[in-house]
Amino acid sequence: MKKTVLNFVAFLLIITAGTTGFSQKLITKTGSIKFQASIPSYEEVAAENKSVSAVLEQSTGDFAALVLIKGFRFKVALMEEHFNENYMESEKFSKATFKGKIEDFDSAKITNTPKNFTLKGDLTIHGKTKAVSVIIKISKAANGVTTIGSFEVKPEDFDIEIPNLVRKKIADKIKINYNFLLVK
Amino acid sequence: MKRKRITLIIVVVLLLVTAGLYFYYGFLFKEARNIAWEVPDFSITATKLSSDYNSNPQKADSLYLNKTIEITGEITRQTDSVLILENTVFCLFTQKTNEKLINKSVTVKGKCIGYDELFQEIKLDQCTINKQNN
Repeated sequence: MKKTVLNFVAFLLIITAGTTGFSQKLITKTGSIKFQASIPSYEEVAAENKSVSAVLEQSTGDFAALVLIKGFRFKVALMEEHFNENYMESEKFSKATFKGKIEDFDSAKITNTPKNFTLKGDLTIHGKTKAVSVIIKISKAANGVTTIGSFEVKPEDFDIEIPNLVRKKIADKIKINYNFLLVK
Repeated sequence: MKRKRITLIIVVVLLLVTAGLYFYYGFLFKEARNIAWEVPDFSITATKLSSDYNSNPQKADSLYLNKTIEITGEITRQTDSVLILENTVFCLFTQKTNEKLINKSVTVKGKCIGYDELFQEIKLDQCTINKQNN
């Protein structure tokens, strides 16, 4: 009798371990990041990258994202070349990364209506790391969550020099929009 | 004499205009690269590409980064606009792939944009399928 009870307990343990032991990671490899550095009445300075990788650990709210600089696409070839060669130096610094945590993240609280969370962490661009805190909107999606948001960065914070000649044509603050559909 | 001069002026003006137009459209506002039309610099297997990136990422970057390359391998995953070859090469397509291609061997052409450490994959964008090998 005692043995069957023990067996039963062991069996229950195995089941619970099996379900909770599964890492609750939500991932995407095709997230999108757009940036906009245009100044009204000048040429549009904008690009989009549709192959951003991101991981969200649901149990802790840990969040990481990685974007390959060469994957940003502009409308004009020369602009893309300048972006890669002169400003981002993408041969040397091929990626930008983010590592951080969504504060008070609880997957049970996520609903179909977007809810604001604070995402804090380290943003690395052009080989330089800076601590940032941004608002992230999270809503429920099929098999995962959708996270969207936008924030602004200054090129000088990441040692990106913009020559005086084009200074007037590029915004001081660059707006970055992101949209990730994270799934299991 | 006068006629010769006028012809000369016309020729010079025409030349300047064409040069100007060429500079404007061919250089200043040249459209972004179209990988589908480019001839690949390398044509290798997915396994070779990933072993190059695993053994020496810097050297591999200097070889493949931003280049148009042709990769051959078996498709291990397929979603709307993505094919993954041999679990290691991520290919993003500009158009959705409708055919079911999983477990088939294909040759994909695309632009190498770098190594993704989060998923340990090499990423290619603007891909097109060059041929199905079966």
